[in-house]
This record gives sequence, C-alpha cells and structure tokens, in this order.
Amino acid sequence: MEVTREIDVTGRICPGPLIAVAKEIRRLDAGALLRVTGDDPLFEETILEFCREGNHVVIETKREGKRVCIVLQRSTVS
Amino acid sequence: MAKKGTIMVVSGELDRVHTAFLIATGFAALGVEMKMWFVLWGHNCLKKRRGLFARRRKPVPDREGTYRNLDTDNLLQPMVELINRGGADHLPLSRLNLMGLGPALFRKMMKKKNIPTLKELIADADELGVKFILCQICIDALGLSVDDLIVPHVEVQGVAAYMKDTMEAHVNLFI
Repeated sequence: MEVTREIDVTGRICPGPLIAVAKEIRRLDAGALLRVTGDDPLFEETILEFCREGNHVVIETKREGKRVCIVLQRSTVS
Repeated sequence: MAKKGTIMVVSGELDRVHTAFLIATGFAALGVEMKMWFVLWGHNCLKKRRGLFARRRKPVPDREGTYRNLDTDNLLQPMVELINRGGADHLPLSRLNLMGLGPALFRKMMKKKNIPTLKELIADADELGVKFILCQICIDALGLSVDDLIVPHVEVQGVAAYMKDTMEAHVNLFI
C-alpha cells in the first residue's frame, strides 16, 4: 500500500514529534498511511503510545542509528 | 467516551506556564480533551504585548461590560495592568530570573535545543483543540480584556463550570 504522507521531525524533541504526528494524522483519511521519521531519544515509545491510544496500526518500524522511521496507518474507527 | 483533563494555570512564570502547555499539547495530541483554566497571573501568557500606555482609558460598555461590572472599576486596575503587561515572550522565570537575564538565557538555550517556544505551544494547543477558559472574577477585578489575546477563542466561566469540568475529568492539574 502506498504511503499517503511523509513527515520528517528530525531534530524536534518531545512533544514536538507527537504534536506534528497528531496534526498530520487528522488530515488523513481513515486507513491511509503516514511515514514519520525522527531522532528524539523518546521518539519510538512516544509514537507507539500514540498509536495505542488512537487505535492506529503500526505497519513498520525501521531504525538506522539514531533515526527511527515508523509507518503507521490511521485508525478506521474515529 | 473520550478521556478528559483540566489544567488550572495560576502562575505567570515562563517555566511553569511552559510546563502546563507541554502537558496540554501532549495530552491533546494523544486524544485527551483538554481544558485549560487561566486565573490571576496565568492570564499573562495569553495577553498580546502592548505598549506601556496602550490600555484604553474608557472601556467599551457593551463589549467589556459583558463580564465586568464597570461601575466598580477603579484606578488601581490600570495601574496594575501597567506593571503587569504579560505577553508570552516576556514572562519571567520563577527561579534564577536575574532581573530578566534568566528568561533571555533560557530562551536561547531552548532555541538551541529545538524546544518549542511558549508562543508556538499556545498556537499548537489551539490547533489541537485545547479549550481556553478565563476566570470571570479575575477579568472583573483586574480589568482584563477578553479581546486582546493571542488565542482567538476563549470562554469566560466561573467556579461552577470548573467544578463540573474537574469532576468529569480524569486528570486535574494546578500549576
């Protein structure tokens, strides 16, 4: 499935990435994919928690050094 | 049912208000319905920074009279306003203020570390649907304006509404 939107929050720290992802995901349709890349030390935990809270699905998590790239799918229930 | 939270902001210092807004934006991003209450100095961060004597002498009755009793207005109110101008970029620190040097250094440090400024956080909070509520008693007593703020939508409420909000909420903070 195609990634609909891609955002890079590299360099931004808590709660910057969270706010950015929350704003972005509201603009997506249910079921659309968002790829987000960040390097905040708490980035991965934060986004995973965000997905658990909002029932979004984590499709893929890739780590390259400090940078983490997460693909998530917007929840189909709102 | 969505989770709810309230934050009562009483302080007007940069460090405390910044913390309050970090929590509010973070929680709102995680889907919590946040309401922020501003009383006393908490209101300072929402004020637009104006010049020393920018305050109008005479309030507009039909607009400002909604939440204020203009008959009991007194000279002390504009005098307090004169030395308590507020503005999100002009707040002091609760510690290490060093007569204004502290906040300047902190802002520099925060910029270096990419921490969002208070103004950005307030804008983010507004965009994420955080509700801003001002205390009516403070508006009346301190002669504050509800129009001259950096956020477009504010509500003016009293303690009954606060009771209702806090009793419904899962987390209630007082900063």
